[in-house]
Formats: sequence, C-alpha cells, structure tokens
Amino acid sequence: MHQNKLSLQNALLTLEQLQRTPSREDGITEEQEDDLRQFGCHLIQTAGILLKLPQVAMATAQILFQRFFYQASLRKFAIRDISIGSIFLAAKVEECPVRLTDLANVIDHLQKKFRRSPLDPLVPFGQEFYDLKNAVVIAEMQILKKLGFNVHVQLPYAIMVNYLKVLELTDHPTIPQRAWSFLNDGLRTSIYICYQPPTIACSVIWLAAREAEVPLPTNPAWWEVLDSNLEDIENIAGHIKSLYYKTLPIPDLPLTINEVEPYLQKQKSIALALADAESRTGKKKGQDGEEAEQAPVQGGDSGSVVPPKNTRVSRFS
Amino acid sequence: MERYQALEKIGEGTYATVYKGKNRSNGDAVALKEIRLDSEEGAPSTAIREISLMKELRHPNIVRLHDVIHTENKLTLVFEYMDQDLKKYMDQHGNRGALGHIVIKAFMYQLLKGVAFCHENRVLHRDLKPQNLLINRKGELKLGDFGLARAFGIPVNTFSNEVVTLWYRAPDVLLGSKTYSTSIDIWSAGCIMAEMYLGRPLFAGSNNQDELMKIFKVMGTPTEETWPGVSKLSEYRKDFPYYPPKPLSSVVPMIDTFGMDLLMQMLIYQPQRRITAKDALNHVYFNDIRGYANIQQQQQQQQQQQQQQAQMNGQMMPQQQQPPISTNSQQHVYQQQPQIPQQPPLPYQAVQMQQQQLLQQQQQQQQMQQQQAYSQQQQMHTMPQHH
Repeated sequence: MHQNKLSLQNALLTLEQLQRTPSREDGITEEQEDDLRQFGCHLIQTAGILLKLPQVAMATAQILFQRFFYQASLRKFAIRDISIGSIFLAAKVEECPVRLTDLANVIDHLQKKFRRSPLDPLVPFGQEFYDLKNAVVIAEMQILKKLGFNVHVQLPYAIMVNYLKVLELTDHPTIPQRAWSFLNDGLRTSIYICYQPPTIACSVIWLAAREAEVPLPTNPAWWEVLDSNLEDIENIAGHIKSLYYKTLPIPDLPLTINEVEPYLQKQKSIALALADAESRTGKKKGQDGEEAEQAPVQGGDSGSVVPPKNTRVSRFS
Repeated sequence: MERYQALEKIGEGTYATVYKGKNRSNGDAVALKEIRLDSEEGAPSTAIREISLMKELRHPNIVRLHDVIHTENKLTLVFEYMDQDLKKYMDQHGNRGALGHIVIKAFMYQLLKGVAFCHENRVLHRDLKPQNLLINRKGELKLGDFGLARAFGIPVNTFSNEVVTLWYRAPDVLLGSKTYSTSIDIWSAGCIMAEMYLGRPLFAGSNNQDELMKIFKVMGTPTEETWPGVSKLSEYRKDFPYYPPKPLSSVVPMIDTFGMDLLMQMLIYQPQRRITAKDALNHVYFNDIRGYANIQQQQQQQQQQQQQQAQMNGQMMPQQQQPPISTNSQQHVYQQQPQIPQQPPLPYQAVQMQQQQLLQQQQQQQQMQQQQAYSQQQQMHTMPQHH
C-alpha cells in the first residue's frame, strides 16, 4: 500500500503486492494463506455478532485485518491477536467502541469453541484475562503502525443500496438480501483490497441478479452506466463464489503464534504424503477441499428491467 | 525522542500534554503533543482520528502534522509550531476581546479556506472553536485539533451527536439530529465570527437546554413555518418557550453590512440552507481580501514553479517512502516527506497597511454603494426568518 500517497480513498494493492505477500515470502503457501485469512475474518465476524456490533464495524475490522497481512507475515503475528485488535480499532473508528473486558470474554469463548474444549467462562481478573487484554492493546498499536494510521475504510454497503434503488430491485424478494450477504462474505477475500467500493457493489448485484435469474438492462449495459466494467465484475464474483466451494478446517487452524509452526509442519507432511500417494497410483487427484475452483460464471443476461411488483421498503436504508 | 527536544509545557488536555519543542536537526520550533496510552483504552480514538485525517490534509490553513513517534507508553505527535490560539489572541490583542474589522476579515477568510478544504476532502472538523484555531506571528490562522473530526461518505450513516463544544454547536445537533453534515462546521464558524466582533461568545449556554434557549432568544424559536421538519427532531418540544426573532444587527451591531449578510447566512436554522464554505469565500464581504490573495497566490505559484524547475534540474526526491520498521522501542510511525520550502508571505503588517489604504480610498464610494448593494443583497439571498 502506498504509505505516503494515500488519500481517504481505500488503498488498493499492486499486482506485485498481491502476489508477493510477506507470508508468501515467509514460506506460507497461497492456499494456506487464504485459509488463515478466512479464518481471521470468520473470527472477526463471529465475535462482532456476539458483541452486537454494527456490520460496518465488522466490515472495517476485516479490511484492516486483510490490509495488515499485506504488511506483515502470518508467521510473525497471531491471527487471534490481530483479529481482535482489528475489532477494537474498527469499533473506535466507526464510533461504536467496545469494552476490552467484553472483547476478552468473547474471544476466550470463541477460542474454546473452535478448539472444542469445555466452554468454561474466563476467570475474571485472572492471569489469562489480563494477558488477553494486553494482547489486544499491543495488537492495536501494531496495526496502527504497520498501516501508518491509514485506518479509514470506505465501504460499499450504502452505495450498493443506492444502486439497487437505481435498478429498481429493492423490492425483489431475494436480490437485496443476497447481494448484502455477498458483500459480507466477500470481506473474507482480497476483493476489498483490490477494487473500489462502487465496483464491488456492482458485482454483488450482478451476481445476485444472475442467481435470481432476473435480467438487467444491457443496452447500454447497466454496469457501464455505474462506471464499472464486466471484467472486474466477473473477477470479483469469481472470488466471492469460490468461498462456497470449500469448508474451513477450523479446528486445525492456528489461533496463536505458538500454533503456527505445528500447523505448517502438519500441512507439509500431509502434502508430502499426498504427493507420494499420487506418484504411486499415478492418478492425478486434487487435494481434498484445498483447491478453490474458479466459480462457474458465464455471461448471458439480456433483456430489460423488471418493473417492481409491490412497494415494500428496503430493509437496508 | 532524539530528533526533538521538548522545551516548555504549553498546554494540558484530558488525554494529552502539549510542549513547545525544537527539531534538533534544523532548529525549527515544533509543538509536541504527548498522548498517554491507557492499558484499558489502548490508543485514544481522538488520537487515531487526528493522525489518520491530519496526515492527509495538507493545506496552508491546517496545522501540519510532521511526525508521529511511538515510545513504550506514549504517542508523540509532532506539529508545526503556532504561537497562540485565537482565544488567547483575542484576550491579548483585542479591545475587551473584540478584534479590528480587518483582522477579523483576514482570520475569517483563512478559517473558511481551511474549512472548505476539509469539506472538499470529505472531512468534518466537528469541533471548531477559538481554542482550536491557531495563529502565528505572520498572522496566519490554521485549524488544529482534529480529535473529533471524521471522514464522511454518503450521508446514510448516523453520527454521534456528542460533538462540538456547546457554545459552537449547531441547533440541528442540539435538537438531536444525527445526520448532520458540513453545515455543522459553518454554524461554528458563524459563532466564531460574531465572537471576534463581540469579544465574548455569541451563545454561551451552560447546558444543552440553556444553549438552545440562548439561540432561540436571538434567532427566534423555530417552528414548522420557519424551519420545516424541526418538529421531527428527537429533542424538539412543543412547549419550547416562544421567543420572537431579533435582528442580528442589534446583537452584533459593530459588523458592517456585508459582514452581517454573511453572518446571517452562516447562522441559518435549516442546515441545508446554510451557506457552504466555498460560497462563503466568494461572498462580497471578502472582495478586498480576495483581490489581494489572488495576487499573492500568483506570486507564490510562480516562485514554486521556479523552485520546482530548479529541483527538476537537480536531484529527484525519492517519491515513495516505506515506514521504517525496526525493533527499537521507538519508531517513527509516520514521517512526512520533505516539503518544498514556501516563500514566507508578506509580513502581516504590510497586508494590513495595504488593506487600510485600499479601504480608505474606497470608503466614500463604498458608503454610497453599500446602501444600494445591501438592499439588492437582501433580495438575492433568501434570508432567515428573523429579518
């Protein structure tokens, strides 16, 4: 991210930054990095719901988390610490601050849940409690430093709602909700670091309309009127859809920095065993649940705007 | 802190202490704002806002943030040094706090320039008051303390309404509006303008309710007729005592006619009808300043171009700077790029002299024209109801 050239617009990555992340340079594979990033975002979203935070705060937190790991390696900073640090920071930026105590309790609960250990509550004012609180404050400062205090995030939610109104889709039974969900899920991918909010907004509407089989105007193409191009839209849609083709192996993923090396070792031995098996059978076989296939997106929506049927007000305005 | 040496303490706030300091490498005076980091709160949100916004806002009328230094338990912001704030300036230089017309005009012009720049960049200051307007010996005024500022996007978000010191808080915010926008800063600017003429705050309320009453007693109690939609605001009460509007010229009698027109447009009840910073800068009140500022700007641009060319011929500056990442206890979190030094503007006195002469020359003509122009003005601009 261009540290000294930033305006208040979202910082976007260059192709080189995208391909050569600090984690990749540090010996973590692309698939592992994707899994770990998704895991961090999952943690943020789940914790945010428990903390009753507005979605904008959770979205900002996930984008800060993603940005951070383009400046630092997943081998050096723990997912748990950076994700709660992101929540703590994002809540301040979005003017809905959370208490450190609540944050520590929620994160401890989730940690136990992910590890399938008994859900005993955190001992108030115990050592563990203080360690967690301390970790949050340290992580927050690390994020501020690595991002050079560029903590303003522009989000596509309001833009998306406006576009739905322009396209007269706010009353459709599935499209608004589905597009909204795609925005939320898309936070787990790199799209928010690669595209500006209006393009993302177009893409989720495009995807939701495809799935609902609702044709939108093509002459001129509606996305061109909204200053986006089809290539970007399809690319973003592909990234979002790829999320649904795999499940995260949550119990195996490392939360703290001590768990990272054993995880990477285990992954390595699995990969070796698989390669070994492959060479013996001579049969090509993809790693189970590892490879995210490009989403099956093809063009082909034509026709005109479907007029609104009723006058239900959008839930999102 | 090796780069900067702290000298004397110049202020203490709730979360920060400000020192006058010196840059050891070039001897420049700086202001060092030390922020204590709390183990319960982490980095104060005011500091996060201030740094993230001020490092982006580079303008002659906004205090420049040079550097941010993080040490174990505190964060030090290094600002350009300004001699005093407007509050102290008024106490020292004013006649019982009230300033001269020409000084006020020069200050208002600079204040609105800074505000216009913030608004163009989608930033609300949200805490404009004399204490946050800083003045240096050259007579330059700059906006400081962005601790309550925020970036705004499409106005769907609702914001906190615990913003702006009470005396400068817009009536829509006092009445509970959470969808305010740039107009909130314009109300504050209007209050500051009146205060510079009066020598005391225009609406010095002691609490939310009292502040509203202070405003109503001058501007009149708003009704659906004078402010459509006012009754829908959460803090609006049907049983507000009724006050008729008073002519603002009786409250701030020392303002000239053009100044009064501008002030009234800044203090319009309906937020969307309040004048914008950009339009305010083009107001006839600033005609004389604008002529002078344009000449000065042209001169500066020429100088800059010459300097830039000289620089192009010499070595190129490195454009990109990654923040240095080290394991030291101290880190320069944000380091500003070296700037092309600007030629200092003419001393403030010279500006005053020039303007005074100009004014004296034009005075007789103006007096004749003012009456006419003002009556036209009144027709052109939609005036608030209290007229």
